[in-house]
Amino acid sequence: MQALDTKLKRLLSQVQKPARYMGNEWNARQKDHAEAAVRMVLAFPDLYEVGMSNQGLKILYESVNSRPGMLMERAFAPGMDMEELMRAYDQPLFALESGKPLAEFDLIGFSLQYELSYTNVLNMLDLAGVPLYADQRGESDPLVVGGGPCAFNPEPLAPFFDFFVLGESEECLPELLSGLDRLKKEAPDRKELLVRLSEWEGIYVPSLYQPAYKEGKFSAIERTDSRAPAVIRKRLVRDLDRAPYPTAPIVPYLQAIHDRAVVELFRGCSRGCRFCQAGYIFRPVRRRSRDKLVETAKQQIAETGYEELSLASLSSADYPDLEELINELDRGLYGEQVKCNLPSLRLDSYSIKLANRLHRGKRSNLTFAPEAATERLRRVIRKNISEAEIFSALNDAVDAGWQGFKLYFMIGLPTETEEDVEAIVDLCRRLRQYFRHKSSRKIGISVSVSTFVPKAHTPFQWEPQLSLPEVTRRQEILQQGFKKMPGIDLSWHDAETSFLEAVFARGDRLLAPALEKAWSLGCRFDGWSEHFSMPGWRQAFRETGIEPEDYALRRFGYDDLLPWDHLHCGVDKAVLIREHQKAFNIDKPEQGEAQ
Amino acid sequence: MTRIRFSFARGEALKHISHLDMMRLIQRALRRSGLPLVYSEGYNPHLRFNLALPLPVNVTASEEYGEVILADPVTPDQFMAAFGEQLPAGLDLTGAWIEDDYSAPALPSTVGAALYRATLVAEEGCRVDPVQYRQTLDRLLAKEEILAPKTKKKKTKKVFVNVRSYIYEAYFNEPEKERPLELYMLLQAGSRGGVSPFFVIEQLEKELTVECNYKAHWELHRERLYRDQDQFLKPLSEGM
Ligand code: SF4
Repeated sequence: MQALDTKLKRLLSQVQKPARYMGNEWNARQKDHAEAAVRMVLAFPDLYEVGMSNQGLKILYESVNSRPGMLMERAFAPGMDMEELMRAYDQPLFALESGKPLAEFDLIGFSLQYELSYTNVLNMLDLAGVPLYADQRGESDPLVVGGGPCAFNPEPLAPFFDFFVLGESEECLPELLSGLDRLKKEAPDRKELLVRLSEWEGIYVPSLYQPAYKEGKFSAIERTDSRAPAVIRKRLVRDLDRAPYPTAPIVPYLQAIHDRAVVELFRGCSRGCRFCQAGYIFRPVRRRSRDKLVETAKQQIAETGYEELSLASLSSADYPDLEELINELDRGLYGEQVKCNLPSLRLDSYSIKLANRLHRGKRSNLTFAPEAATERLRRVIRKNISEAEIFSALNDAVDAGWQGFKLYFMIGLPTETEEDVEAIVDLCRRLRQYFRHKSSRKIGISVSVSTFVPKAHTPFQWEPQLSLPEVTRRQEILQQGFKKMPGIDLSWHDAETSFLEAVFARGDRLLAPALEKAWSLGCRFDGWSEHFSMPGWRQAFRETGIEPEDYALRRFGYDDLLPWDHLHCGVDKAVLIREHQKAFNIDKPEQGEAQ
Repeated sequence: MTRIRFSFARGEALKHISHLDMMRLIQRALRRSGLPLVYSEGYNPHLRFNLALPLPVNVTASEEYGEVILADPVTPDQFMAAFGEQLPAGLDLTGAWIEDDYSAPALPSTVGAALYRATLVAEEGCRVDPVQYRQTLDRLLAKEEILAPKTKKKKTKKVFVNVRSYIYEAYFNEPEKERPLELYMLLQAGSRGGVSPFFVIEQLEKELTVECNYKAHWELHRERLYRDQDQFLKPLSEGM
């Protein structure tokens, strides 16, 4: 950071991990504010080390900063200790590159990756001294914009945001910023500016849409200006090879959760698992060419000095001719001592072969996500692998010297019964026995169980979440079952956190006051178990007259208007309905794959 | 193979990073530099590289040392240019030379002590009374036992060690107008054990009876590293 004033310096010496607030990292861009017509700060509502692991942030940083006349800086949610000091010393939230307060930027763009970061969004606005509600902001205040997966149902956040960008913004953001500069000169006021913006593809200005409610439930939405589109369609990058992508990403001083070079093999996923929002909102599948990937990897390694390269995507083993790509990377990075890794493995022999190829050294643990333990339930969610395949893949892994695996399961999936839950225990028991007989080595098995959260724009968007007491009961079944199985390491997601996530994932605008209340009661970092406070949230819901169960446990009908129906994710509702119906008719033969 | 040693200074811009951050930063800078690096054998290769003594978070420094093994001959000038170019603001390469004696012990094992300077920065409206600080320091140094908790891995029980003998010297600068109070501390460091300068300051503040000391804070700087040779301390820079 250029202009660390003494006050700030003083604060940094008193907090944990001061490098979170320092900026000035290798490859960080210092652009001149005076020379930029539009200045944006990308605000990530979580800690630095989480935000700096997000590839989207790095892509946007590149897409804006590689253009003349505009700049993008970064800001992250300060840790609780830093927040306390900032408030005590009247230090407004600042951007890392210039140290300037967020309020001095033209745009504050929030990256909305998960619902449990919403209180941090409000907290960051407040620390920045920007009015929380969009209608309280004046002409000189920054525009507050949101993007990322949660922008596909941003209704609980609607009153706090001026607009949202739907879909992928690496191509449209620079366009938008230069357009904004022009619009600002043309439009007489902020209101008109927003109306004009709403005419752009992918831009959702929530204040131009007025929801109506029947008996406390969302029932209709109406435009308040006819120039705003009835349905907002997402933005999409057509050719990834030509889209901006960082060749010299920032190298954090502090170890980020994912601290490595990353090339993105493809966007989207063709597997079509019915619970998976990413699988739907990032459609269709678009690939980067092998040449582009090798070139980018070489540049990134040369510019960062990273010792690890991640071949990222939603399901990397699906990249065509992945082995050839790995060969070319091996040749291209020869002598650089770079380890490649494949973050999302499928449970099949091909994936194991790839993992073996990449890990010549110590083979510790492999991670897989079968999600459900019975073939029936796996077919309901469309995670179509058979038990025989699971055994044979893990068998291959053990033969290749892997020391153990971590298996991810979900409970509370639609149609799940007690037997399905017990099957998780049973499957692990049989795996354990199998490998005990087979191998003289000890094979470590760890099991991680999360709770199903129905998400907007998926075939399960109409389904309720399992009630809290029932989730707890099923967790107990697991606990009891695994108690008698020493050597298996069980962990699970806190049920209440998943409940809160479900409330907001399918929420509407009536939740906004509860969100503000929870924030004012001190709720922050709700996704962090050490900070999450259900009592705080309960009080917030009570005081704002919200029954959270009405949201999480609600079953929608096909005829119900959903709070996010005016936002189009690229997949028609008819397709979602069809997939939803198929989930409950799994005996009928499947036809074809998802497009 | 060439064994290169280098010296560097760390300024304000980088003082907030930890030792591990520093190790990663320098290794990545070396990897970017294009210098002929040497990695250890095996499946998990790591760079043959060392820093003399970990530099704590929030401390600047003027004379730190590192060493790295290179595969091919490289002159100090070439090294300075290639490596220096890859270092961020706040880290200044101040020298490099070739260590011919291949049997010379690795850098970390040569360090015996370090000299720190702590500057008391008082905020407006807070008057620091130097006399009181001096008296307090005298009281502290008169003690025969100053116990510091020792963190032992895998042990929950706290173990204490007497670190009094690790404080070789501690004194304040001569009073001067317009010059803040500075505390110099020569402390044992390195493989034989040591004491953190922050700990010494903490002990001093505990003894203190000044009321508004929360409005003043210490800024730490490491002046120099020493080797312990035949019971005498010699700056690490000598004989390198
Ligand atoms: S494989 Fe399934 S769960 Fe994974 S990203 Fe694709 S659709 Fe989602």
